Amino acid sequence: MWIDEADGFAEIFKGYLPYYLLVALPIFIIMSPVNPVTASHEFSVYRMQQYDLHTVPHGCRSASFNLEGRSLTSWSTSRHCVVARVEDISIEQFMEIRSKAGALLLVLPKNDTVLTPEDKEHIQLLEMAMIQNEVNAPVYFAQWTPDFEDILRDLQHSFITDDKSKTALEAMFNSVSSNGYQIVVSASTPQKLDSKPVTLHGKLVGRSGSAQTIVIAAHYDSSGVVPELSQGADSNASGAVAVLELARIFSRLYSTPAVRGGPTLLFVLTSAGHSLNYFAAKKWLEEQLDSADASLLQDVSFVMCLDSISSSATLTMHVSKPPKPGGAAHSIKSRLGVPINHKKINLADETLAWQHERFSIRRMTAFTVSALQSHKEPSRGSLLDTPSELSASNLIKNIGVLARALASHVYNLTDEVNDEDAMLYDELLGVDEVAIKHWYKYLSSQPRAPQIITTLPPNAGVTGALERTLSRYMEITVSTHTVDKREPEYTLYGPTRAQLYVYSVKPAVFDLILTLAIVAYLTVVYFAIQFFPRFYEEYARLVTGKAKVQ
Amino acid sequence: MTLYHFGNCLALVYAPYHMAYKISGISEYATFSKCVYAGGLYIFTQLCKMLLLATFFPDSDVNQVNGEYNAFLEILKSTVDLADLLGLYFALSAIPGKGHAKILTAAIGWASAEVVVTRSILLWVGARGSEFDWRYVRSCAESNVSLLQHAATAALVWLWTRSDLPRKYSPIVVSLLALSPYRGLMEEAVASVLSLSAWALLALRAVHATIVGLTTLGIYAVLAQQIGI
Repeated sequence: MWIDEADGFAEIFKGYLPYYLLVALPIFIIMSPVNPVTASHEFSVYRMQQYDLHTVPHGCRSASFNLEGRSLTSWSTSRHCVVARVEDISIEQFMEIRSKAGALLLVLPKNDTVLTPEDKEHIQLLEMAMIQNEVNAPVYFAQWTPDFEDILRDLQHSFITDDKSKTALEAMFNSVSSNGYQIVVSASTPQKLDSKPVTLHGKLVGRSGSAQTIVIAAHYDSSGVVPELSQGADSNASGAVAVLELARIFSRLYSTPAVRGGPTLLFVLTSAGHSLNYFAAKKWLEEQLDSADASLLQDVSFVMCLDSISSSATLTMHVSKPPKPGGAAHSIKSRLGVPINHKKINLADETLAWQHERFSIRRMTAFTVSALQSHKEPSRGSLLDTPSELSASNLIKNIGVLARALASHVYNLTDEVNDEDAMLYDELLGVDEVAIKHWYKYLSSQPRAPQIITTLPPNAGVTGALERTLSRYMEITVSTHTVDKREPEYTLYGPTRAQLYVYSVKPAVFDLILTLAIVAYLTVVYFAIQFFPRFYEEYARLVTGKAKVQ
Repeated sequence: MTLYHFGNCLALVYAPYHMAYKISGISEYATFSKCVYAGGLYIFTQLCKMLLLATFFPDSDVNQVNGEYNAFLEILKSTVDLADLLGLYFALSAIPGKGHAKILTAAIGWASAEVVVTRSILLWVGARGSEFDWRYVRSCAESNVSLLQHAATAALVWLWTRSDLPRKYSPIVVSLLALSPYRGLMEEAVASVLSLSAWALLALRAVHATIVGLTTLGIYAVLAQQIGI
């Protein structure tokens, strides 16, 4: 054995150990994993939207980073990841971060905090600013947790800054006392998602086969700055719920031949809405109109699109051409008793304003009914578009109004003559409040961003649920559309979510200071051992001297 | 945090042991193999203790999961640490040489084996990770205190084996020896009563080890003068 041969420690150190170390150390270093410990904090985070619309890039272009966390005030270079609350960051700050910082992590407001209208407006404007252009740094959103609160507080009150501290001592003290955070997201590089939007349509055939067709359409996807968090309660879960409910009411009426209405009703649900320029509606129209058998949309009376009808109880009719008096659209307008908002189609814009413009382009009479005054409302694509009791009751009321207006148009009733008629109306056109609330809650609890619903197979997820429900009332056709391979109308990118690790770390100077402290300590130990014999002599004299006295 | 931080921690652990070995002069006795022998005995003793614990306290881990603290059980478990004294006794009896060389060799061998077995993996895994924690620096400093503790315990065992120990000191030696398995438990009890922080607990350990060490050194000095070494 080498232990027996070696005469003492020093010889082993000089003779054998270096050679063993030469072999052993590299093996150790190769064997040990890169990140041996799990981080003390681990969070699910949601990546910002990333898509190309007509090859114009939007949103965040990268996914993974490993950077030092800093607060809004203390970050300075591209080696920092800015961590902030959504309500704290201003648009100017975002623009600066977009161009200079390494990454951005935004923490959403705590669930039960009530945001002031100013805060809401600020967040919505920020979202619009974020999505307008491309961002090269990774941007992530996280739900509020108590752990995040601690990290945010630590970062805000941290002394780690790059500007020179007053004295070296102060800098030393700061680096020992303050906590730093290393923030790591390891996600795959953004990849194109295989997006296949679908359109569901089903019709209730009217009394006479040759009569006109009324189209009732809505898109059921949502658009927001974060795909996984875009619940889109108002835009456009409300529209989709309204289509479902109208389909239920009229399927009951149309099932008995005696009360079947004249025109054919066609219900359409599309899965790519305003963020993707109503792509599904465009493709569906192309398929229906340009195919050899174009019977479905041969004689369209009008197209009614429903969009965001839960935010208030007053509706507005958006048209791209003022309806002619005596026309079908005018009849609906007067029966609804709503104001008209006329906006011409502007093909130069990046996206169309409302879904009805897709139909208007194909020379159909079309309009959108919405509770919003303008298509530019930022709430149409916001994280804050969440369901509430008030919006659910607005939705119930608005669906009732729509059902009545549509029924009185279909049956060409001029006025409700007496109470008996009114009661008959209520009985036949009564909306199912429980079902509406249930569907509204269900749809707005699901993230329905195009990244999620158009990448699932058509019989799964929200699309599948909608199809199964509609097919209780009528026969449903599911048409799947594909994006043009050479000149894609849009491209979606994943991943939409990732795992975030936060390590608490110390600045590099800290290790140097620790080394100095250890060296000082070891020097003390060295002299303590050196002086031990002398100390022992004194101590022995003290102890034994006393012992002798006794 | 980094390999550099790991180096820092390693220096804090290793250097005091190396200095104690080199400067105290026991290296001149060519006793490195005896140190290794004491270390081997340490490992063997721990295995025996584990067997005992597993036989008589098989469900002790369950209690820890439940969060209950059973003081009596803890005391019983610490009693098993009396086997350490037996192991030290064998180590001392196997090492030739004068009193202080015997004691230091056994203590350094014993304590280094403890450091290697209990702290090396913790440091290798923890101090090199991305996460910084004062825990690792503290555990390194603690291993220095435990060197002092083991030296005091080894000296006490040696004193106890001497038949020429003055009679009036033997009660002190025996009581200190009997208490030594429970010292960790006592320190923790004091810390939890005074609700001390981890650094304060470390300081408490250091003070405790120093007091025991000085008492032992006094008795050793008396005996050494008496028998003339």
